[in-house]
Amino acid sequence: MSHDITRRRFIQGGTGVAAAATLLGGGFLGFDAWRQAYADAPAKEVKQVHSLCNSCSSKCGFTATVEDGKVMTMIGDPEHPYCDGTLCARGYGYASIAYSEDRLTNPLKRTETGAFEAISWDDAIKEISEKITQIIDEDGPQALVLIQDPRPSGSYYTKRFMNALGSANVYTHGVSCNMSKVSGMTQAIGVGDFVSDVANAKMVMFLGRSYADGIRPGSLHDLQAARKKGARIVMVDPRYNASCLYADEWVPIKPGTDLALVLAMANVLVGRGTYNQEYVANNTVGFEDWAARLPEYTPEWAAEITGIPAETITRLAEEMWEAAPASSIEQGWRAAFGCSHKNSGETARALCLFNTLLGCWGAEGGAIFYPSASAGKLTDPRFAAPPAPKEKILGSAEYPLAAASMGVSTFALQQIAEGKVKGVIFYQSNCVGGYSNPKQLDEWVRQAELSVAIDVQMTETCKACQYVLPDTSYLERLEVPEFVGGRVPVVALRDRVLDKIHPETKPVDEIFAELGRACGVGQYFDFTVDELADAQLATVGLSLEQLQEEGIVAFPEKAYKPGKEITWKTPSGKIQFTSEACAKAGFTPSPTWIEPLVMPEEGQFRLVGGKQTIHTHTQTANIKPLISISKKYGLERPWINADVAATLGIEDGDEVEISSDAFTGRTKIKVTERIEPTSLYLPSHYGRMIPEQQLSYGVGLSQMDFVPFHLEPGYGGTMAQETVVTVKKVGA
Amino acid sequence: MTRYGMLIDTKNCIGCYACRTACQRQNGLDGDVDYIRYEERETGKFPHVRIEAVPLQCMHCEDAPCVGVCPTGASYVDDTGRVRVNEEKCIGCRYCMAACPYGVRVHNKATGAVEKCKFCTAEAFEGKAKTCSCVEACVTGCRVFGDLDDPDGELARAIVEKNALPIAGDRTKAKIFYVR
Amino acid sequence: MTYEPIWGSIIAWYLFLAGVGAGAFATSAFLSWRHPEATTMRKVGHIIAPIAVGIGLVLLMVDAEAGFQNPLRFFYLLGNFGSVMTWGVVFLGIFMVVAVAALVLDLLKRPVPGWLENVGAVLALCVAVYTGALLGVCNTYPLWNNALLPILFLVSALSTGAASVLCVSIVHHADEFNMVGVLKKFHFCLPIIELLLVASLLFITQSNSEAGYQSVMSLVAGEWAVWFWLGLVFIGLVGPTILETWLLFFTSEKFEKSRLAHWISFASDAGVLIGGFLLRYLVVIAAVPLPVATPLL
Repeated sequence: MSHDITRRRFIQGGTGVAAAATLLGGGFLGFDAWRQAYADAPAKEVKQVHSLCNSCSSKCGFTATVEDGKVMTMIGDPEHPYCDGTLCARGYGYASIAYSEDRLTNPLKRTETGAFEAISWDDAIKEISEKITQIIDEDGPQALVLIQDPRPSGSYYTKRFMNALGSANVYTHGVSCNMSKVSGMTQAIGVGDFVSDVANAKMVMFLGRSYADGIRPGSLHDLQAARKKGARIVMVDPRYNASCLYADEWVPIKPGTDLALVLAMANVLVGRGTYNQEYVANNTVGFEDWAARLPEYTPEWAAEITGIPAETITRLAEEMWEAAPASSIEQGWRAAFGCSHKNSGETARALCLFNTLLGCWGAEGGAIFYPSASAGKLTDPRFAAPPAPKEKILGSAEYPLAAASMGVSTFALQQIAEGKVKGVIFYQSNCVGGYSNPKQLDEWVRQAELSVAIDVQMTETCKACQYVLPDTSYLERLEVPEFVGGRVPVVALRDRVLDKIHPETKPVDEIFAELGRACGVGQYFDFTVDELADAQLATVGLSLEQLQEEGIVAFPEKAYKPGKEITWKTPSGKIQFTSEACAKAGFTPSPTWIEPLVMPEEGQFRLVGGKQTIHTHTQTANIKPLISISKKYGLERPWINADVAATLGIEDGDEVEISSDAFTGRTKIKVTERIEPTSLYLPSHYGRMIPEQQLSYGVGLSQMDFVPFHLEPGYGGTMAQETVVTVKKVGA
Repeated sequence: MTRYGMLIDTKNCIGCYACRTACQRQNGLDGDVDYIRYEERETGKFPHVRIEAVPLQCMHCEDAPCVGVCPTGASYVDDTGRVRVNEEKCIGCRYCMAACPYGVRVHNKATGAVEKCKFCTAEAFEGKAKTCSCVEACVTGCRVFGDLDDPDGELARAIVEKNALPIAGDRTKAKIFYVR
Repeated sequence: MTYEPIWGSIIAWYLFLAGVGAGAFATSAFLSWRHPEATTMRKVGHIIAPIAVGIGLVLLMVDAEAGFQNPLRFFYLLGNFGSVMTWGVVFLGIFMVVAVAALVLDLLKRPVPGWLENVGAVLALCVAVYTGALLGVCNTYPLWNNALLPILFLVSALSTGAASVLCVSIVHHADEFNMVGVLKKFHFCLPIIELLLVASLLFITQSNSEAGYQSVMSLVAGEWAVWFWLGLVFIGLVGPTILETWLLFFTSEKFEKSRLAHWISFASDAGVLIGGFLLRYLVVIAAVPLPVATPLL
C-alpha cells in the first residue's frame, strides 16, 4: 500500500486573494503573481511507492514520488545491497519507458504480408494456446521452448507455465551473458558466483569487469572504499575502463587470453611454492594434476600470448601472494569470459583455482560467499509446483557443462531448423537482437510453427515472431518478492508505482495465467500475484502489505559472518582442481591453455564488446534520456588505438567501414589511447535494426552482426568476441 | 547572508551521467533537455593513460553575463546567490544562451523558454524534501552543496582543503568549484 | 559533443530586414537632402522602412517561442536597460513610430517635416548599429565580439536599404532613377567598404582564438565556403561592384539611361540584397562559441 501525502505548494490560502487584488490593481507585477497563483493553485496528489528498478539485472530498490501519475523523484534505497542508497544513470532514465511513444499497446499478429495487425487478447490467447496444444500433441512438450531475461515474476511464471505443460525448456539470456563464467566456476567450486571482499581487500585484480561501467552502485562504493583504504587495485582489460579511476594499474591485455595470464600467474606461485599449501592440502582435490600441467605456462610464454610483459605477470603474481589471503581475482561477469571466447568456461575455472592457491576463500578481504534468504515452502495447494518435467532441458546433452538454470537458448533455436523445436515463446528477451548472430536467429525463429514475444517495445525478436503481446512496464506491475543475497540479505518488492497506462497491456502473471488456463493447466494459476507474494512473504514472517509499506526488509540474523566454514557443493565436497565433467566434455581434467577460435593477424582486430554506464545490452537503447546521451556525445562510436589509427590514416570522428566475414557496416570512430592495439571496442548497445524503435534506429553498429553463429564447446556460450574485423576509412 | 555554491570533485567522477538523468527526473525534463553537460579529456600515451570527466552546469556566477543581457529581466540573481530564470517572464530570445561562457543554458522546445540548473538541491539542503538532485544522486559522492558564506560549513571547508577552483578562472565569479 | 547554433535563419532574416528598413529610411532622408526632386523614390523608402522592420519584428517574435506562446511577456522587454536587446527594442519602437508617421504623412499627401526625416535617419542609424551590437556584445562568440561588426552591419544596412529603394524605382519610376546620381555613387562605394570590413573581420577573428579560427575557417574553407564565396563575396559584393563600376565609369551616359542598363543595375542591387541577407545568415550560423571550440578543461 502506498501512503498518500498531499502537498500544497500554496503556502497560505491568503496568497491567492492577495494576488487577485494585485491583478485588479493592474500592472505587470500583478499579472506575474496571478499567473504564479493560477499555475500552482490545484493541490496535487502525491504518493510514495517502494519498488525495484528494471534497467539492468541488479534490480536496485528505490522509492518513487509520484505526482498526478508521473514519477517525479526516485531515491535509491540505502538498505538495498545492490544500490546502497544511490541509483545509476540508467535507473533514472529507464523509468521513462512507461511513457514511451514506442510502447506496444495492443496484441499483434503478423499477417501473410509480413506486417503486424492488432488482434484481441481473446483471439491471441486462443490461437496461441491452440497451437501450443497441437505442438504438444504432435511432438511432445519438449518441442516447446521459452526464453526470458530473468526478473522476479518472469522467472516464476515462465517456469511454472512450461513445467505445467511438461517442458523443461526454460532458458535465460545466459548464453550471451555470464553462463560460461557461472558454469566454469561451478566445475571448480560448486557454485557459479562468489564475491571479492573488495572493501576489505589488500589487493584485487579485475579481469575485464568494470564496476564503473556496468554499474551496481553498491559494488562501486566498495571499490571506492578499497581505494580509500589503500588497497592495490589492478584492472586487466583491453580498454582503459572507467573503473581505472580507482585502480593503481591498468594492464592492457589482448582479449581472449586471460586464461594464459591466470595460468602463468599460477605457474609462478606453484613453481616457487609460494601458495597456501596447507589450504590446498586440506580443501581440494586434484592439485597434483594441475601442478604437473603448469610448468609449460611460464610468464614468458604468456607474455607472447597476452601482450603483457613477463615481468609484469611475475610481479602481479608475487603481489597477489604477498597480499593473500586478503587478495583475489574478482569473479568477472560478462566481458572477458562470461560468454566471449572458446576458452571462457575454462578461464573461469582457472580463476577459481588461482584464488584457491591464495587460500582466500572465506577470508576477510578475500573471496567470499554472501548469504541469501529465500521464501519457505508454501502449504496452500494452489501454489503447489507442477510435476518436474520428465526430460532435461534441451541442449544439456550437447553442452553438458552449461548451467542448467540458464540453458543454451541459442542451441534450442537452432533445433527449429532441425525440426526438433516447433514453438518458441520469448518473455522480455531480445534474443534475436543480440544472443548470437541476429540474421541467423531471425531466420530460425521465422521457421517455427509458433513464435510469440512478450515485451514492452517492439524488438528484433518481436519482429521475427508471429504474435507480439504487450507487457506492462515494470512501473505498472507488482511482482513476486525478490530475495537478494548480500552482507545482510534482504527481501524487496517490485510494486505498482503507476496505474496501468495502456489498457490493453497485461502484466506477466496475467499473461501466463491466461495462457495456462487456455492450454488446460489452469489449476496451476488459480491465484493472483498479490496472493502469491503474500503467501511467500508469510513464510518469512512478513505480509505483502508490510513489505509494500517498508519497501525492503532485511534479515540481520542471516548476515555474513567472516570465518564461517564453507561447504563446497562439488561432487567431491572439496574445491576441484580436476573435474570429471570437464574431462568428459573433452577438456583436460584441470584447466590448460585453449587457443581462442580466431586470432587477429596483421591488419585485423578482435571485435570486443562491453557495457557503457548508461545502457544495458540492447534493452535501454530506445529510452529517450539514455539514447540522447549517446547521440550527444557520440558514444556509439567504436574505439581504435591511436597509433594503429595513425597507420591506417584514420582520424578521430572519421567515418569508417568495419568488416567481418559475416557483416560490413559503417560508423564514425573514436581514436583513443585507451585501448590496446589488437582490439576494436564496439559498445554493446547500438545498431538497432527496427524503425519501430524510433530513437535508437540506425544509431551505431551491433557487435553481434559481425559474429557468426557458433557455440563454445562444452559450455555453450555464444563466443561473442570470436570474430576478427578489418577497418578502413570510408573514401580512402 | 546565504550564498549557495557547490564543489565537484572530478578526481572521483567516473563520468557516468547519473547526475544528468537524475536531474531530468527531478526537474521533470524531457530526455533530450539537459541541465548538465560533460567534457572529457584523455591525457597520456598508451598504456599510460588518464581520463578526466567534468560535469558542467550553471555556475551561478555572481557576475552573470546571462543576467546582464536578458532583455526582460527574466534572468536574475536571487537572495541566496542563485541565478534563476523566471519562466513567466522569459520570451525565449536565447540571448542569455549566447552570452553564457559555459554553454550550459538550454532551450526547452516544449515551452520555448530557456532553462538551466536551478540548484534545486537547495530544497534538500534546507531539509524541505528529499530530492534526486545531482548532489544526492551522484553514485560516487563527488558533489558537496552548501553555503559559501558559512565559514564552518562543509562546503567552505572542502573548497579550501581540496584546493577547489572555478572551472575557467574567476572572471564571472562562478560559484561551482572544481577539484581537478 | 554535438552543437546546434543558438540562432538560425529567422534571426538572420530579422537582422537583415531591420537593416533594410533602417537603410531605406536613411536613403529617403538622403534623397530629401541631395535629390529633393526624387519625391516618389523618397516615398518608396518610407514605405519599405516600416514594412521591412515590421516583418522583421514579427519574425523576431515568432523566434522567441516562449513569448510567442505567451505574447503578454513581450511587455517585459523593457525590463533591463543593461541589455543591448532592450535598447534595441527602444530604438526599433521609436523608429517604427517615426517611420509609420512619415508613411502616414506621405499617404495623406502631406509634407514630411525635415526634423522628422532627420530624427528618423538618426534612429535608423541606431537600429542598424544595434543589429551588429546585439551580436557584438556576446563575448563567447569571437566572430561577433568585436567592434567591426556593428560598423559592418551599418554599412550593409545602408547598402541594402538603398538597393531596395533603387530596385523598386527601377521597376516603377525609371525617370527618377536616372536623376539620383549622388545616391548611386554613394551606393556604389558601400559594397567596397563592406568588402574591406568583411576581410578585416575575418583576418582579425581567425587570429584571436580557436573558436574564432574555426568560425572563419567554416566560412572560407569549410561547411559554408560555397555560400560565403559565391553568395556573399561574389553575388553580394564583388559582382555589384564590377557591374556598377562599368555602368558608372565605362559606359556612355546614354547607355546608362537605357532600359538595359536599368536592368543591369537591378541585378546588381538584387545581388546586394542577397549578399546582405547572406552576410547576416553566415555571421549568425557560422559563429562557434568559445566553450564548444575550446573545452573548459
